[in-house]
Amino acid sequence: MEKTQNRSEDKIKSQSDINGINQKASTSKTENSKKSRFRDTLAVLFSSKAATTGLILVMFWVFVALLAPYITSYSPTEQDWKAPNQGPSLSHPLGTDELGRDLWSRLAYGARIVLIIMPVNEKLWIPGGTAIWGVLAALFFGASLGLVSGYKGGWPDEIIMRLLDAMMSIPVILLYLIIVAALGASAVNVVIAIAIVGTPGVARLVRSLTLDIRTRDYVRAAETRGETLLYILFMEILPNAKGPIIIDAMLRVGYAIFAMGTLGFLGLGMPPPSPDWGSMVAKGREFILMGNPWASLWPSLAIASLVVGLNLLADGLREESMRYQ
Amino acid sequence: MAKFIIRRFFLLVLTMFLVSIAVFMIVESSPGNVAKNVLGAFITPEQEASFLAQQGLDKPLLQRYWFWLMGSDRTAARKSGLELELIETEAGFQEWWAKGKDNTLMRWDIEGDDLTVYVKDSDGKITSRKDNQRWSDAKDGSQIFWGIDRSNHAVLWVKGSANEVWTFVVGTGWIKSTGGPQSYIPLKKGFLRGDFGVSLRTGRPVGKSLFIRLRNSVVLAGIAFVVVMPLALMLGMVAGINEGSFKDRFLSISGMIFSVIPEFATGIFLILIMSHWLELVPGASVFGEKAPWQRPDMLILPVLTLTLIELGYVLRITRASMAEVMRSAYIRTAFLKGLPFWQVVLRHAAKNALIAPITVIMLHVNWLMGGIVIVEVVFGYPGLGQYLLDSALYKDVNAIEAGTMIMVLLAVGTQLFADILYTFLNPRIRYS
Repeated sequence: MEKTQNRSEDKIKSQSDINGINQKASTSKTENSKKSRFRDTLAVLFSSKAATTGLILVMFWVFVALLAPYITSYSPTEQDWKAPNQGPSLSHPLGTDELGRDLWSRLAYGARIVLIIMPVNEKLWIPGGTAIWGVLAALFFGASLGLVSGYKGGWPDEIIMRLLDAMMSIPVILLYLIIVAALGASAVNVVIAIAIVGTPGVARLVRSLTLDIRTRDYVRAAETRGETLLYILFMEILPNAKGPIIIDAMLRVGYAIFAMGTLGFLGLGMPPPSPDWGSMVAKGREFILMGNPWASLWPSLAIASLVVGLNLLADGLREESMRYQ
Repeated sequence: MAKFIIRRFFLLVLTMFLVSIAVFMIVESSPGNVAKNVLGAFITPEQEASFLAQQGLDKPLLQRYWFWLMGSDRTAARKSGLELELIETEAGFQEWWAKGKDNTLMRWDIEGDDLTVYVKDSDGKITSRKDNQRWSDAKDGSQIFWGIDRSNHAVLWVKGSANEVWTFVVGTGWIKSTGGPQSYIPLKKGFLRGDFGVSLRTGRPVGKSLFIRLRNSVVLAGIAFVVVMPLALMLGMVAGINEGSFKDRFLSISGMIFSVIPEFATGIFLILIMSHWLELVPGASVFGEKAPWQRPDMLILPVLTLTLIELGYVLRITRASMAEVMRSAYIRTAFLKGLPFWQVVLRHAAKNALIAPITVIMLHVNWLMGGIVIVEVVFGYPGLGQYLLDSALYKDVNAIEAGTMIMVLLAVGTQLFADILYTFLNPRIRYS
């Protein structure tokens, strides 16, 4: 609390810009002010120990994912049948799994699937991690529904919200189980599951923001100018609601990684040879009683640290932004 | 208030209805089929078709849904012109019989072209005799009979047809017989009349196995609840009273960390520490025929896992609510009156601060179920979640539907209960 008093005026302004709804419609922003805003955001981040820790954890995994080919000495599927189920050693820093695959390589390439690339099928890999795509899809559908619902009101609002309420009241695990068990295990289906589960939450958030923003003058102005519905929804309202949505999205990436791990653990994640963290835990679990805990310990730690990192980061950001409001 | 409850109750029914349809459609449209899942990948197409027909899975989707929802006995009774009755035998099996004159019960079997009727009279004795006068003429000239067979189907027999029937008997393997029925209707009372149907995976009534699984899950959740609630409310209040202090930050950050780590990771950590390295408690919950409370040592780790996960969540809500109350004017007044610190906290603050957590926890049942499913899988605990996962992997539609309906009912029901409870705890709230 004491720290906040020393902060300069401009940081306060930048914070409300990032996190609150922008009070002013986009005023002329030069390249310079953008840069200083970025710097201020970082300053706010680093002023909270929790958020800094979170940022470090997240950045660690992002770098591991980016640099996976350069910081590992084995391929994630290379089997060393002479050395299965080994503890950490010089040649295998984290040990090996039951087929003698290097756990560090599998962890690093597993981070790629979560954060950097998504395997659509065996040949096609698209950039953007599986968790990221899941959240993006949820954001897209949720935001569209929320915008229409909040802006239009009346019976479209009533129908959309009642349906989403019904969806939200279904236990999340049930949705995951039924969707993925029925569709089969693949990255695309995991994305679909994450998107379906995430959509109602995003829609609610965006709707509540829209209800507030649609009364603003610049929305009236756009209506008077005769702009199309799509323009008003996506160019006027959505950009002005982006602060809370970004924080929510960050938490959602955490949930998505959580969900990916859980699905993998239940045997509903990526198909076998791919280094999916959850599946690694599930497989390694069988060998705990045989005296080799490493194969399940490391991926559990990886998921835990990444999810905790994202939550600390989002939490820190939200707390800092709340202090100024 | 009454209007509100009725509206919400209507929404509950609507939700369950929509979910049940959605589950049927998803299971229907998904790849893979239940025959291969249950009987293995190497069954022949004839065996597969025979299995699907016997389970009634060759019927159109809409009819299957109707049978699941409302039961098939009325349709079967109309087709056969017989009065049907469901009885429970002394061994605990459910059997469908056709009702004859003077309270005798009848079922049929076919051998070549001969119908055999099995008659069970009122004192339970079963006699069999030839019963060929049942055949009636169909439009295309063949002789047919709609009757009840000896494995709870209403079936259509056609005289002289050589339909092959494959039945799988555990321990023996496939048995092939000819002269089988043209069409099967598996008899059931339907979901709305309290019959969940028969599990395709185990062949046993879903209701029976589900009840035991549900009981086990409720035991686990109940113990976790009893452990978590006092602890979390107490710690949350401690954190909320000293808002911003080191104690507060430590409690809320560590609570947050524990609540966001996936359940299976927490479970694995606990198994490694408590069972693998310290060798204090068993790392799995294998009960066999025993009930969970007969092996309390096996409950320790599952309960501990659930506790860690739920603790943080409840703690943070209590903390926020407590912190807000502590800032309010009436608490300041109480302090200024000179009341002792603990009296203010316990008598004035706690009363108002606990309203929010209690209801929010109810809403949290949704997430708690997810936690329980994972914890059950981690520890091999024979609960509802494990049952549902297995059923989903097998595409055992009756079991999935039953498990889903119970979970939705529990989740939506507790939400409704929480809303009603809230009006009693907080008279300022009125639903209209």
